[in-house]
Amino acid sequence: MKPITWLLPALGLHSFIFGAPDYLQDVKPLLASRCFDCHGALKQEAKLRVDTAQSMIDAEMIIPGKPDDSELIYRITTTEPEERMPPEHEGAMFLENEVNIIREWIANGAPVPEGEKPEADPQDHWAYQKIKRPPLPKDVSDQNPVDAFIHSKHREMALKPQPPAEPKILLRRLYLDLSGLPPTTEQLLTNASYEDTVDQLLASPHYGERWGRHWMDVWRYSDWYGLGGMLRHSQKHLWHWRDWIINSLNKDKGYDRMIQEMLAGDELDPQSREAVTGTGYLARSYYVFNRNTWLDATIEHSAKAFLGITMNCAKCHDHKYDPISQVDYYNYRSFFEPHHLRLDALPGETNFDKNGLPRAYDRDLNATTSLFQRGDPALPDDQKNIQPLVPKMFREFAPEVQTVSLPPSSWAPGSRSYFQNDQIKLAESEILNARKELQEYKSGKKAIPPEVKKDNPVNQKAESFTDGFEAERPELWKIVGGGWRYQGGNLVQLEPVMSDQFVRSLKVHPRDFELTMEFRTTGGKKWKSVGVCFDIDEEGKNGHVVYASAVNNAQKVQVAHRTNNRMTYPPQAQKRKQIQLDKNYVFTLQVKKDLLNVSLNHEHLISHRLPQRYKDGRIELLAFDAIAEFNEISVRELPADTKLKPPTSHSPNLVKVDPTELPKARLKATLAKLKAIKARIAADKWMIRHSEIDINNEIISHSIVSQKEYLVAQAEVDLLTAKAGKKAAAEKNLANARKALEEDGGEHTPLRGSQMALVSNVDKEPEYSAIYEKQSTGRRLALAQWITSSENPLAARVAINHIWMRHFGTPLVKSSFDFGRRIPKPEHAELLDWLASELIASDWSMKKIHRIILTSETWKRTASNLHADPKTIKTDKNNQYYWRMNSRRMESQVIRDSLLHIAGKLDLKMGGPSINPSPDSTRRALYFLHSRDQQSKFLATFDDAEILACYERTESIVPQQALALSNAKLPIQISESLGKKGPKEDTAFINELFQKILCRMPTDEELHECLQFLNKMPKRDRLAHALLTHNDFLTIR
Amino acid sequence: MIDPSIAHSINRRRFLQGTGLGFGGMALNNLLGSPRPTPKAKAKSVIWLFMRGGVSHMESFDPKPALNDHAGKSIPDSPYASVLEPEKFENQRVVVVGDANGQQRNKLYPLQVGYKQYGQSGTAVSDWFPHIGQQVDDLAIIRSMWTTDNNHGAQVQFHSGRHMLDPHEPTIGAWINYGLGSLNDDLPQFINIGPRFFDKRDGHYLGPAYDAVNLKIDPKNPLNFAKPEGKISLEEQKATFDLTGRLNRLSAKMYPSDPALEARIKSYELAYRMQSAVPETINFDDESEATKKLYGLDQKETRPFGEQLLAARRFVERGVRFIQIMHGDGAAGAWDQHSQLKKNHAKLAGQVDLPTAGLLQDLKQRGLLEDTIVVFATEFGRTPGSQGTDGRDHHPYGFSVWMAGGGIKGGVVHGSTDEIGFHAVEHPHYVTDIHATLLHQLGLDGRSLEVPGHKRIEQDYGHIISEILA
Repeated sequence: MKPITWLLPALGLHSFIFGAPDYLQDVKPLLASRCFDCHGALKQEAKLRVDTAQSMIDAEMIIPGKPDDSELIYRITTTEPEERMPPEHEGAMFLENEVNIIREWIANGAPVPEGEKPEADPQDHWAYQKIKRPPLPKDVSDQNPVDAFIHSKHREMALKPQPPAEPKILLRRLYLDLSGLPPTTEQLLTNASYEDTVDQLLASPHYGERWGRHWMDVWRYSDWYGLGGMLRHSQKHLWHWRDWIINSLNKDKGYDRMIQEMLAGDELDPQSREAVTGTGYLARSYYVFNRNTWLDATIEHSAKAFLGITMNCAKCHDHKYDPISQVDYYNYRSFFEPHHLRLDALPGETNFDKNGLPRAYDRDLNATTSLFQRGDPALPDDQKNIQPLVPKMFREFAPEVQTVSLPPSSWAPGSRSYFQNDQIKLAESEILNARKELQEYKSGKKAIPPEVKKDNPVNQKAESFTDGFEAERPELWKIVGGGWRYQGGNLVQLEPVMSDQFVRSLKVHPRDFELTMEFRTTGGKKWKSVGVCFDIDEEGKNGHVVYASAVNNAQKVQVAHRTNNRMTYPPQAQKRKQIQLDKNYVFTLQVKKDLLNVSLNHEHLISHRLPQRYKDGRIELLAFDAIAEFNEISVRELPADTKLKPPTSHSPNLVKVDPTELPKARLKATLAKLKAIKARIAADKWMIRHSEIDINNEIISHSIVSQKEYLVAQAEVDLLTAKAGKKAAAEKNLANARKALEEDGGEHTPLRGSQMALVSNVDKEPEYSAIYEKQSTGRRLALAQWITSSENPLAARVAINHIWMRHFGTPLVKSSFDFGRRIPKPEHAELLDWLASELIASDWSMKKIHRIILTSETWKRTASNLHADPKTIKTDKNNQYYWRMNSRRMESQVIRDSLLHIAGKLDLKMGGPSINPSPDSTRRALYFLHSRDQQSKFLATFDDAEILACYERTESIVPQQALALSNAKLPIQISESLGKKGPKEDTAFINELFQKILCRMPTDEELHECLQFLNKMPKRDRLAHALLTHNDFLTIR
Repeated sequence: MIDPSIAHSINRRRFLQGTGLGFGGMALNNLLGSPRPTPKAKAKSVIWLFMRGGVSHMESFDPKPALNDHAGKSIPDSPYASVLEPEKFENQRVVVVGDANGQQRNKLYPLQVGYKQYGQSGTAVSDWFPHIGQQVDDLAIIRSMWTTDNNHGAQVQFHSGRHMLDPHEPTIGAWINYGLGSLNDDLPQFINIGPRFFDKRDGHYLGPAYDAVNLKIDPKNPLNFAKPEGKISLEEQKATFDLTGRLNRLSAKMYPSDPALEARIKSYELAYRMQSAVPETINFDDESEATKKLYGLDQKETRPFGEQLLAARRFVERGVRFIQIMHGDGAAGAWDQHSQLKKNHAKLAGQVDLPTAGLLQDLKQRGLLEDTIVVFATEFGRTPGSQGTDGRDHHPYGFSVWMAGGGIKGGVVHGSTDEIGFHAVEHPHYVTDIHATLLHQLGLDGRSLEVPGHKRIEQDYGHIISEILA
């Protein structure tokens, strides 16, 4: 059996085997695939339909017996751009053998079986009909509606259902279904009734974790990822939304409310952090490089997940199968057009890298949307009027879009009182630190430079190393700042900046060492300095620098000293030397105690006595205001017998520095900062009260002046700590700040209580305003309300299908994200509608639906075929009528969590930041980082959720899974742990192990096998491991 | 437009219903079934060599003497100013707003290496690839490739046929694995060796079972979970596997005719064998010294790539369908010579040239080249103009790849770029034309394997390059 034949509409196969082409088998599928979308029930371009042979004859498209005179044949064979069918850009031309089939059929007189019906009206498609609660079937007496509908079908089909599963197996199924963890032996031996256990599990917080992971699949949860430290996809701290999913499920928030909060929580209830957290859903689709790609994902997946509409198919042209036009696509996009993302500060954390709430808000209230011809952003069609409107055929119950007024906490997030308090606290703690530092310098406890030592006692293990920069080596280098790339076998710095960006070794170099480094300078603005630092401490404050500067008219090699972040440039440690661009140079540094020799291209240039050495010195690559390439570096211990050249001059010129100068300036700046923050808070409050800014108002002007004072004080600190090439800039900065302070005017700068996601990858965040629009368009809210309207035929049906599939292993509607016209009415349509109407009627309570399903006899049936009625097996081999339960393999997370849980090692702590997917972690797997770049290898082996779209988990069975279970660290450790515990006597041990792992007692045969195993190999951990790899452990029976 | 993922899920279900399996995915069928018959197949396996970063086409397989003649002139000042006409750039799609990549081509930069004609066909190949040059009569060189991404997302594009801004599609290796099934159940059917970056997945909507299995040439630990991460002896492991097997069979009494259970029992047996079959395949002890030399295992520079290629041959011998070998480290890929092209291209070519030629010779002498296709590709070429003083920028408008074996004509040069190697002018081929040609040679119909009714169907699905078929 080859699957590809099923992908083919069996083109030509029939005629190949049976001779003459058959209309229904061979001809109609060809026309359906190429022509029906424009000439069928959906549309009638040129008033033509080709969905019946008669309609083609009537329209004189075909003349039976005369293929050469038939317009159809001409149209599908001509290459005339105006006449060819399908038209250019709307479909591929027919292949030669396909044309021949149609031609032959016409030549044969275009025979058609009687009673050919045209395509049904799209409006009549089952999924587009209003949901009406069907009456329960009368031919059965079941109380539970699931049973009533299913049993009625059984009667109709003469199917005999299987009995309920054995109670322990059923209990295991129930626990795994609702908590994702197998029952403990104690839970297995409970006296509680089945119904009570259902209620208890639904009330357990693990329900939210188990079903939260399901909905994370459907809603595409992914932590952020990008390139190195650069965020490209999703948003930081998205775990807040993951926890929102879990908590919402646990409190049985209505499914309608969940969708509303996800799409528009910021508009629905802007004061509620919970509602706003739901919009993390929108944050997930962020893509820094391209807004269209981002919105395309939002459109495609919101329509698929909430509505079962494949809206994405209408991006480039009208939908080929469903009544969704290209205008509908861009109308739908228009709901999302104004929105953007930001991180809002959360109480207790002022650093957005550490925490913050990813959320949506409307950035551009007047955002307009264009239709892109053929989906191409380069071809906007401004003739089409695109508005936030839902697809035409569902418009009657769509609410009006109404503008939402936002509270100050939304539009001025810096005005939140917790944020103001956190800012004050931070400023106060900075003052304390500055005071302490100053005191230490005054008392001499600290001095410049700190820990001065003539020698360099290496505390950490020093190592030699080399790197040809072929690829990233995160174990060797710490890379900070942008512009660094590994390309073409080199490490390259592409951005000539003077800010703090560096590549620092994580390894400590030997005290006496020899370093060679090959590099070239390829450009830069002014200084074009490239070199290497050594003796650098972990924070980069102290050390020594050797560099070659290609600065115009003063090219040189220079040794400099970095002392508590300040640079000194001893004149005797400088050598004029021509440094050319685009030429390779090799630096050789030799250091022995305090003596340094520097050569360039093996020519000795400088001998210099170092004023001091620092302990645990590291290497740093330096590209200061330069574009540079680093080709190779090698650092090794200096051979003991190496003789270095001493310098001619013997007195290093250390610049004398007042040790308290910098701490004093710092203290002054921190005091000014606190004053400014308080003044800005007062001004923010005034601004919110008066909803305007009056710079003549005393409170406002005080804020402006305080801020200016602070900027002066800070500029003074910056000048003191500025590095060489940045001195001039820092001086200029200070002068500007002083000038601004002397002058009147200026602007009030509100506190920044949020961090906006980049609108474009070339933007820099601080350029964005700290305050936002005071209104939101209400577009997303209107969309969400339309989706969750009780009149919407799709939302509840789609939700029930997702829920059903995750209880039974098979969905009621085959394609969980497409309820379009190509998807036939499901076998259990009435059951689907009953549950959908029940979901709506019970305020969209999902727990209510779970309870109905889980307490049905249908759900409780055994998954085994054993003793099943042979006729039933024959009639319904695939269990389409649920006469037994389906066996399913556990999802990846359930396998991994169950392994730990069985051994009592699972940490049941809930929520919080995503954690590294380490094999040693004992937290539940849904808290693992889950992104393109971060995924547990163990989970990945078991069909982990695809981050781009996962409406349904696949269940593959591949040998790598067996290898993972046999060889991964976790199952081995769990086996060892299980092998150590338990009764001394083998039979009792085996019984207990079966209960723990498979939740049942062994059969006599199984017991016999296990005893025999232990006889031959008395290793209980091996026995436990065999059971952990048992199919029935992995399977939910 | 049909959403491919729907078509997949529906068809998968239909297929599975046809076989009587309620679920389980294709991989399960792979386990239970035999390879899918492909009566028209000319080839069984593919060895896919991908040079990451962008190989200069002018300095490999498409020498352009005009660059030497006009070296130093800017393109507008040269006789070839017409290559810069804006309509010739319509296909380009930029991922990163304001991306400067692919724009640096100031002055025509002379060839940094000489070239010679080789073989009966007299095809010119650069002096950086003298050994491949010796094999030129077995190669079909396509000098007229083009793609649309001006940055390294083109690596994904070369494998999936889709631009970075489009939804993800399964890669060619995944499709082939999906379409053909397995010839040897002891080994993974789709193997990746070497670094990947932009997209680490292959299967996408076909499911993770169609992702390539990452492999290292390290017999001690060639793939994830290939040996116990704990103290378990072989004997113990065997006993454990056996006990699991026996217990699973007992369970089959309780759950008769459960296809998943049957498949799992079989998968355990396979896993046990795979554990030894994979290390055995990458253990070269039984290879002759002559063979090892052929692949350059005796030299430091050629050894790493040579080992990968020798392993590839051994996998092909054992029936593995698709072995994808990615050459060149770093995020962008080592071949990305924005500067120092001469030094680094020479070095990198030195790593791959001899082993690749060795692979072709070895496949040929063993009769394996008849049904194995070797593809030598890269994501784009490099600019005819210079970047900086001694580099070349990204160049998606014209570049070269070659194919050999498996019913591909030898000694053929197909298509061409203009005189300076800027645009593909004669027989231009989008990257999926390579895919279509591979699928065709493997007996699969590229258009039916995928889903009909796509936008830009011709471009997305590719045309078979029939001119290079034997």
